[in-house]
Amino acid sequence: MTFSAPIPWWWLLLLPVLWWLARPAPPRAQVLTPHFAQWQAALAALRRHPVRANTARLWLLILALVAVVVAAGRPFLPGGEGARRLVVVLDGSASMAARVPDGGSAWERAQVSLRDALSAVPPHVDVTVLRAGGPLLRRHGASARALQDLGAPNGSLGLDLEALAVAAVAVPHTAVWTLTDGQGQTALPTVGALTRFDTRGDNASLLAVRLVDRWPLPELGIEADVALHGAGPARVRVRVEGAVAGSLQAELELAPRATSTASFTAARTAAGGELRVVVELPGDVLAADDAWTALLPPLPTPRLCWLADAQAGPFAAVAASALAAEVGGTVVPPGAAEVGFLLVDGGRAALVPGQARALVFGSATPGSGDVFAWPSPTVVDWDRTGPLTAGLDLSELRVQQAWRGVLPAGTPFLWADDGAGREPLAVVAGRGDVASVHFAFRLQDSNLPLLAAFPQLLRRAFVHCHGAGVAPRVLGAAPAAGEQELHDAASGDDRPLPPFAEPDHDVTAWCLLAALLLLALRTSVR
Amino acid sequence: MPPPFPPAFESLLHTLLGRSRDVASARDDQRRARRAVLSQSGTFVGHRPYVRGDDPRRIDWAACARTGGFFVKQLEQEERRSTALLLDLSPSLGCGETPRRVWQLRVAAVLGGLALLHLDGVSVLAPGAGDAEVRAFAGARALPALLRHLQSLPFVVVEPSHAIARAMQEHLPARVHWLSDFADPAAVARPLQALRRGGIAVTGWLPEVPADRDPAVAGYVRVVDPCSGNELAVPIDAALRTELRAQLATLATRQDRLFLQAGAPLVRWLVPAVDDTSVGPWAPLVARGSA
Repeated sequence: MTFSAPIPWWWLLLLPVLWWLARPAPPRAQVLTPHFAQWQAALAALRRHPVRANTARLWLLILALVAVVVAAGRPFLPGGEGARRLVVVLDGSASMAARVPDGGSAWERAQVSLRDALSAVPPHVDVTVLRAGGPLLRRHGASARALQDLGAPNGSLGLDLEALAVAAVAVPHTAVWTLTDGQGQTALPTVGALTRFDTRGDNASLLAVRLVDRWPLPELGIEADVALHGAGPARVRVRVEGAVAGSLQAELELAPRATSTASFTAARTAAGGELRVVVELPGDVLAADDAWTALLPPLPTPRLCWLADAQAGPFAAVAASALAAEVGGTVVPPGAAEVGFLLVDGGRAALVPGQARALVFGSATPGSGDVFAWPSPTVVDWDRTGPLTAGLDLSELRVQQAWRGVLPAGTPFLWADDGAGREPLAVVAGRGDVASVHFAFRLQDSNLPLLAAFPQLLRRAFVHCHGAGVAPRVLGAAPAAGEQELHDAASGDDRPLPPFAEPDHDVTAWCLLAALLLLALRTSVR
Repeated sequence: MPPPFPPAFESLLHTLLGRSRDVASARDDQRRARRAVLSQSGTFVGHRPYVRGDDPRRIDWAACARTGGFFVKQLEQEERRSTALLLDLSPSLGCGETPRRVWQLRVAAVLGGLALLHLDGVSVLAPGAGDAEVRAFAGARALPALLRHLQSLPFVVVEPSHAIARAMQEHLPARVHWLSDFADPAAVARPLQALRRGGIAVTGWLPEVPADRDPAVAGYVRVVDPCSGNELAVPIDAALRTELRAQLATLATRQDRLFLQAGAPLVRWLVPAVDDTSVGPWAPLVARGSA
């Protein structure tokens, strides 16, 4: 007999207290007598007994207490040999989404097998389902029997199923059942029950897709890496569809275990939407790695506006026109109802840095302090890695005059040095989807408009001011590594579940009944 | 236990001994002259038929051969003029507010004093007392020594049969005063018969305390046997007291019957109050002791 809750055994420490309480009260008076025999004879004549601890009653009370304490420990008799706990190791890796010969995916077949088997598992058996592969999930009890929220097959199987099974059966009275396709394993578990799903077959997979985005222009470059996991050479068709003009496709002749790249040049649709790259192979058993999807934002139709002070010259207007031509927008006059991008040259601009998309040259903003002239600053460096100036040549930049105090707080990307240390000449203010780019000099006070990098700088400033929201967003995860080659799955024979133990017999009620009987018997003992 | 011989008692003892001289001396010589106490030593005075209880060693086999019947020799005791006090040192005599032991020692003092005064000496037998088991005193001047000896005796648990066997090893005089509570009559019967077979005249002295008739206790008490250490926790009510009085009366009857069957007198002497120094309660005892 074992106990589910042995903690109440501590109550047995009350037994000495019980014994002490059951003792008769000692007489306070004592009489020494030579007639002890006469006292005994008198008691016997009256059929009386001296007051003494009634051992039988005490023992009955102690036994009753012990029975109650045992009952509180929830005793039960083990139901015999056999497993009392079932651990199901369910392979949830991406390869389990592959079709099996008799229809459906291995994942669906595994769940059907599990439901059928678990419905026959006795209710007293503890069931735990471990999903291995992808996110490691653990379901226990009713959730396990209902296969609740196990998700879809994805990810790699980074576990050694053999080690997992061995660890599970190391716990006494535990049976383990592994359901897998054998993909990604050198050998199948040798302990416990085993159900293997045959997913062997040809598979073409889309390993990676790279986009060359020319936003806000519609041009879009697409490169798709395709691999073939098959028994022989095959032709794989790659299609691009969705948020691009027309349907693009290419066919690749691939050898087994070979990878090739298909390149496309597409034109994005102005409305944006999902862009899908799909590979097609006749008889492909694993469709989950055949498609790649990204969400393309709509193309902008920016309304550009320029502002310049009286001495600014024509540079702002020319720059605005050039930028409009670069990004496909239009130049609207100052005071227009909607302006998507503002280009300011000199003077004082009524905008809050970082909260409006703007390119500002030598303009003070409401947050600027005192402005001082900064004659002939020497441009010494620019950010070689940032998105604004990476790859641009600004070495010929000359500034006749800049203004100290016009730059707001932000991230500098252009510096001057007049011998007193580096000092920013340009900063980016703001984060997220709205930012503004500020220069400490006007266009007319430098040769920046004359540099070859100026148009590119204008376009990059426009893109940068729109933040990351204009970047394509890839939907879904990359295909799991090592889950595509379905011909190399480990093989083995299925093994059935072992028999389970009979349910335990709860003897709590019997203990309580024994306690009551002992107390009843005690009432009749004098 | 209170001192057995306080000055008041010693004064009373001298008074009692002085009175005994007047009472007993006149009769002493004539009684001593005609007293013939059976003894194994003395002058042969004739035969008598053997009766149950006689010592077989005293059978005169020559007379038996001549007559065909069993006869024992009858010897006249030589004038040994001594007596013995056989004291029970059992712890049961220590019970009570004024223990029976106090009265036992006082009775022994009176009897011993009378012997010192009127006889040649007295032997005090205290089985179990170790070196003080046997002590002889002679002459009236030995009275203080007798008192000191009595006062020094301990409490010892000794079975009566063992005590008598030990006493029989000594050369007992023909007369023995056995002072005890005789709480277990069954244990006393065999020693009494042994003394009788030894030709020793035994007188039992039982200082009777009030608790021998009515144990004046009430409530929930623990009753303890001082000899065995056994104890009982007893709630006392009227019925139990009544039954206990009946049992004590039965005990007294058994004691009396036992001594009667042994041909020995049992003197019950109702003890006076502990601070009673009058001569009256002691007069019967003195008269009996002088007889």
